[in-house]
Amino acid sequence: MEKATVVVIGGGATGLGILRDLSMRGVKALLVEKNDLVNGASSRYHGLLHSGGRYAVKDQEAARECIIENQIMRKIGKSCVEPCGGMFTRLDIDDPAYEELWVKGCSDSGIEATPITLDEAFRLEPRLSRKHVKSAYLVPDAAVDGFRMAWQLIDSSKRYGGQFKTYTEVIGFDSVNGELRGVKVRDQFTGEEYEIACDIAVNAAGGWAGFVGKLAGVEIGVQPDKGTLIAFNQRIVNHVVNRLHKSSDGDIFVPHGSITILGTSSMSVPNPEDTSTSRAEVESLLKIGEETFEDLRDFRILRTFAGSRPLYIPPGGAVGRSASRGFAIVDHEQDGLKGFFTIVGGKFTTYRLMAEKMCNQICAKLGNNTPCRTADEPLVEEVSQEDKDRAKKFFPSYGVNLAATRLGVDRFKKVVERLESEPESRELICECENVTRAEVEEICKDDTSFIVNDVRRRTRIGMGTCQGNFCALRAAAIFADMGVESTAKDSLTRMREFLQGRWKGIRPVLLGRTLRETEMTRSIYELSMNIKGGAPQ
Amino acid sequence: MSDKTQAIFTGDRCLSCTSCMANCPVMAAIKDYRGPKLVGPAHGRMHFSQEDIETSLEFCSNCKNCDRACPSGVAVSTLNMLRRAEYYKTHKHTQAEDMIAHGERMAKLIRKIPFGATFSNVGMSFGKSLGIFSKLGLAGERDMPAYAATAFKDKFNSIKQTASGKKIVMFTGCFINDNEPQVGEAFIKVMNANGYEVLIDKGFNCCGSPLVVTGYLDEAREHADNNVARILDWKKQGIPVVTPCTSCSLMLKEEYHELFGEDKFHEAAQNVYDAFEFLEILQERGEFNENLKPLNQKLLYHVPCHLKSQAIGLPAQDILEEIDGVKVQTADAGCCGISGNYGFRKDKYEISMKVGAKLFERIKQDDFDKVISDCGTCRMQIHHGTNVKPYHPIEILAKAY
Repeated sequence: MEKATVVVIGGGATGLGILRDLSMRGVKALLVEKNDLVNGASSRYHGLLHSGGRYAVKDQEAARECIIENQIMRKIGKSCVEPCGGMFTRLDIDDPAYEELWVKGCSDSGIEATPITLDEAFRLEPRLSRKHVKSAYLVPDAAVDGFRMAWQLIDSSKRYGGQFKTYTEVIGFDSVNGELRGVKVRDQFTGEEYEIACDIAVNAAGGWAGFVGKLAGVEIGVQPDKGTLIAFNQRIVNHVVNRLHKSSDGDIFVPHGSITILGTSSMSVPNPEDTSTSRAEVESLLKIGEETFEDLRDFRILRTFAGSRPLYIPPGGAVGRSASRGFAIVDHEQDGLKGFFTIVGGKFTTYRLMAEKMCNQICAKLGNNTPCRTADEPLVEEVSQEDKDRAKKFFPSYGVNLAATRLGVDRFKKVVERLESEPESRELICECENVTRAEVEEICKDDTSFIVNDVRRRTRIGMGTCQGNFCALRAAAIFADMGVESTAKDSLTRMREFLQGRWKGIRPVLLGRTLRETEMTRSIYELSMNIKGGAPQ
Repeated sequence: MSDKTQAIFTGDRCLSCTSCMANCPVMAAIKDYRGPKLVGPAHGRMHFSQEDIETSLEFCSNCKNCDRACPSGVAVSTLNMLRRAEYYKTHKHTQAEDMIAHGERMAKLIRKIPFGATFSNVGMSFGKSLGIFSKLGLAGERDMPAYAATAFKDKFNSIKQTASGKKIVMFTGCFINDNEPQVGEAFIKVMNANGYEVLIDKGFNCCGSPLVVTGYLDEAREHADNNVARILDWKKQGIPVVTPCTSCSLMLKEEYHELFGEDKFHEAAQNVYDAFEFLEILQERGEFNENLKPLNQKLLYHVPCHLKSQAIGLPAQDILEEIDGVKVQTADAGCCGISGNYGFRKDKYEISMKVGAKLFERIKQDDFDKVISDCGTCRMQIHHGTNVKPYHPIEILAKAY
């Protein structure tokens, strides 16, 4: 039987943070995730590394945690954080009294909020509404890429012996006399069921924490709260642009690499699997967004997506926007299951702090006194300028930094070597996001790439303008050759899955150029390959 | 975003359909060019990610076949020219680039010297034979455009015209002014025959096309501002601006607002006409002088890319076919390859000849009496590639009056 001291359940930011933290303290830990990494709220989100400004009025403790963790992440996460900075803008329709409260809140929470003139604001963000924007401040917000961060946490954990299994779902727990013995899991592809023996299991399943708790017979107050977001085809903003008012829907724009993300809504849903989005949600987000950027509707929408915040609801607590963004750790020894913990709630920005607190408790139980070092050591080594310069000769322009940060030192070196020696590997598989054949092949070969979507999340194929129009076929072909044998052989299914994944986010925004693009994709795949939208048969 | 037709806002329309790549003559000639879609709209959304330069941008000739191929109205080549201008913000122009971008300035200097044109033509042929052009980075294989003894604008006052209440202003363009004044004279003859007196405006600058393609965008902007102010002045007086040069008309009508995006460029564009476009409008109104002498001629027509881009059809063909005995057949052989000053660069010479090969082959079939083309540099390329002397269609029409 497989064994680990601690089994971590859930491959989101919190679970991955715990895996890294435990591994660095010398605890043998294994993470299981029923899907690919960051399948929940840790990628279905804004990708905003909060400065804390968002919470400066309502929840100063959260604000203080944010600014501290923000500074830590900027230091340890140079390959996943884009330090673009943030701006808070108050519009003519926003309450000026709130601005005063906010300025004081920032100062009390230790967040540097620098007032700037409107001229300066329009210079920095030329597309801001000159009609509506009345005041502006700069704050140290940043953008953080959830996919990059997840795999960098894995790389870091692996250096310390941490292990992980994706597409491995928890189906039960094994306990003797109220003491946990192991976690029962099922391989999502082979259907094989087996047990992993452990002393401790941590339920870090985010929105799914309630379901996992149920399997162990414990009740957990978690309310999945769905947020819908819109991805635009290009950078509309240079900074994270927040609305300076009482936190509400659709009031944050975050620039990410080539795109901009606008969001989000807030809606309680019974099931965190519900990542559906609707035209009405899109319309409502656009309506709010165009108050800050009047020409917003002129920009092409790539897609929409949604994820569920796992809000922690203590008995009798508030839900939705009023629910606390704080987190809770529950030791289920109190519920009669020794060795089982749940960590729930919190925010992406403070995932490291949450992991640290969780691991402190686990280590206390295990009698391990090693202090937490996750704030001191970078997640991954940075790719050297020398390697980047070498890469520039073969890489598509504007692509070196993006590829370097998503591949990491070793894989980047391998990819550059192939580009150097095999000119045909320089072919672009994804022309919108500049992804070369060498990079796609490198990730396809990885034994954690089970489906083409896994390759997408790590390379960004299919995430640009054409949303898979040209790369779906190419990527599916490469994957059929190089992917994990058990899943790769069914190449047509893999391509359909990939196309379906793209179309899911496009359906609510089938308008204008997005509609034209999608019709072209549909005709290419239907007319030339008889793949009717890739819909399930 | 005041003007949605400005090129920088059109990148968002790209559907990545690849039509532009399939229609790019440069890509077909050289694999080092990554192609319009990737260099224009695709990189337009990537260049925020890091300070970088797409090196293959230099291959774009701004022939605009990509813009025409695009089903979504992306101003692909103009996006490329904007990126090229960015490039030159941090990189120095070579001496050759300075020369080929500033033909107007050079011509003005030479005109100030007595017999300057003669000396400079002699100098150019020496320069060519001594390999000086090649050393400068110019295509040593080519003749530089020879200067006419007297510039068109200088002889303009001595050209006899029939006075008329109906007037047009001729935008001469540098090439006709300095190198082919006979085209300008033919233009006047045709317009006079149609009841129009031709004025010229010595305040006009070079349209700026050679500046734009060589990355001198700020200078081009100065030219645009000046020219457009004058065009709008003429517009107020109800006098249209007409030009026999297709690259000039494209710049005035379309590229200015794509590049600079202000309403005035749109407004001015409405007062600018290609010469044959203007004649065809007269014809539609029943005002075209159809009293044409028969000419027994079979013409092979190379349609310039920059005319096709204007989406006005082939007015020269329509009008010339009004002449008894004239038959016009289009060469249908794609871009000639020279694309303004592109083919004058030493490092682009071979590409430009490869692009033009199909046209040269067509002309070598020799099944016609004359080759015609509205564009001055196309005519130079045809002459260089085939040794056949081509004519501006207005020269043919002038003979019929």
